[in-house]
Amino acid sequence: MRLFWEITRRSFRRHLTYRTAALAGLVTNSFFGLVRAAVLVALYGDREVVAGLDVQSIITYTGLTQAVIVYLSIFGWYDLMNAVHQGEISADLLKPMRLFSFWLAQDLGRALVGLVLRGFTIMLVYALIFDISYPAGVAQWGALVVALALSWLLSFAYRFLVNLAAFWSPDAKGIGRFAFVIVMFFSGFLMPLRFFPDWVQTVAYLTPFPHMLNTVVEVYLGVVTGSALVQALLAQALWAFGLVALCQFVLSRATRRLVILGG
Amino acid sequence: MRHTLGSYWRLLGAQVRSQLQYRTSFVLDVLATMLITLTEFGAVALVFERFDDIQGWTLGEVAFLYGLVELSFGLMDMTFAGFDPARFGQEVRKGTFDRLLLRPVPVTWQVLGSDVTLRRFGRVALGVGIFTLALNLNPLVWTVGKLLYLPLVVLGMVLFFGGLFITGSTITFWTVESFEAVNILTYGGSFLISYPMSIYQEWLRRIFTFMIPAIFLNYYPALYFLDKPDPLGFPAFAPFVAPVAGGAVFVAALLFWRFGLKHYHSTGS
Repeated sequence: MRLFWEITRRSFRRHLTYRTAALAGLVTNSFFGLVRAAVLVALYGDREVVAGLDVQSIITYTGLTQAVIVYLSIFGWYDLMNAVHQGEISADLLKPMRLFSFWLAQDLGRALVGLVLRGFTIMLVYALIFDISYPAGVAQWGALVVALALSWLLSFAYRFLVNLAAFWSPDAKGIGRFAFVIVMFFSGFLMPLRFFPDWVQTVAYLTPFPHMLNTVVEVYLGVVTGSALVQALLAQALWAFGLVALCQFVLSRATRRLVILGG
Repeated sequence: MRHTLGSYWRLLGAQVRSQLQYRTSFVLDVLATMLITLTEFGAVALVFERFDDIQGWTLGEVAFLYGLVELSFGLMDMTFAGFDPARFGQEVRKGTFDRLLLRPVPVTWQVLGSDVTLRRFGRVALGVGIFTLALNLNPLVWTVGKLLYLPLVVLGMVLFFGGLFITGSTITFWTVESFEAVNILTYGGSFLISYPMSIYQEWLRRIFTFMIPAIFLNYYPALYFLDKPDPLGFPAFAPFVAPVAGGAVFVAALLFWRFGLKHYHSTGS
């Protein structure tokens, strides 16, 4: 376990060095957030509340979705794939640590830097520009922390699983592109899932994707409370640990068929 | 010039052959590109069921804006792929750009010929699809003028987006690593003009009118095609300057690119 935290710490420090890139990214994310907020506010027109979300909530929503892009690697993550295709994976397999834990620790460091440099900062920019909402009370803040942690674990497990395709196919990148585009739609990144017709929401909740992002948004905005909140967090946990287990299974298959070409 | 163009076509031919070499990979890429546009537009279309309109613009009218942008951006992305800032920034960082400077063919043509992303064809196809949907939802009153002007609007936007790509790439001469803020220009610009410009706050609209003349490329032509009144009170010729505005951005970008080339210092790696 000490090894795990050491790797996380080093990954954290490594990612922390790219501060100019983070600033540039912050400007970009804020710009997109602003434009998306303008579109949604224009859609609202004179309406005050739509599907349980008021105008303040919808503006906050655009900030939240931009804030977690890096934390959850929404636009895709191909690091493991590249390591497999380039053969670096052989070195990882020799390490005195399980492959999954090794990559999990590295991703935790990366995600935490994303959360600090690109998450908090975007919300700060939003707080300066807009009148956004905040979670109320210790319980809601606590639920948000749990939801954020679970969403990262779930997102990592899914990304890891998608990347494992590289053990089987040289076209894994194409498969990955599909896998990540689907997340953007069904996780509620493009639009809040509540805005979609019922049948789309039903389909979405058959997948793990709403638990990656939509749950975080709904917990933050306080639209799920009481027993529904507990259920939402439980569903997140179930999907997260389910996918982690699936990763282990697929990984054991994958390493058995791995052939490294020397060079 | 004949030598230059000949080299350009040869470079492109090599790109096309190499991309078609990996069939499965290519087909997957085209489909993934289509899926991106499909989900993004799909999300907007599904939400319209709840909202009916966006400040007086129906789904069909927004689809008109959206389809034209996707179509034009896709066409631009295919032909100007060599100037994609994300890709070009890599060349500058790794120093591979230096190789082009040594060859006896104008460097601009070489960059242009260094990549052609055939998979973006998916985006063009869906752009046409969304545009067709727009015409179905919202039949236009076609006139000879409109028919003749439509290709010029697309040309204007291709030049406009091409200019943004060139500008973004030129910036990487100084920033070296691909600079994420450049995305504001390229992807931000195309996202912004996929919606009616009247919905944005005054300051944002001003930037995209006077600093970057984006408002004339899609919004004003759309007002003309859809016979919608102008809520912003611009002069009556505003809908018809799209090719000029696009051309101006393109020429300005080329001048900036020339300037950048003159001041280029290799990373030396």
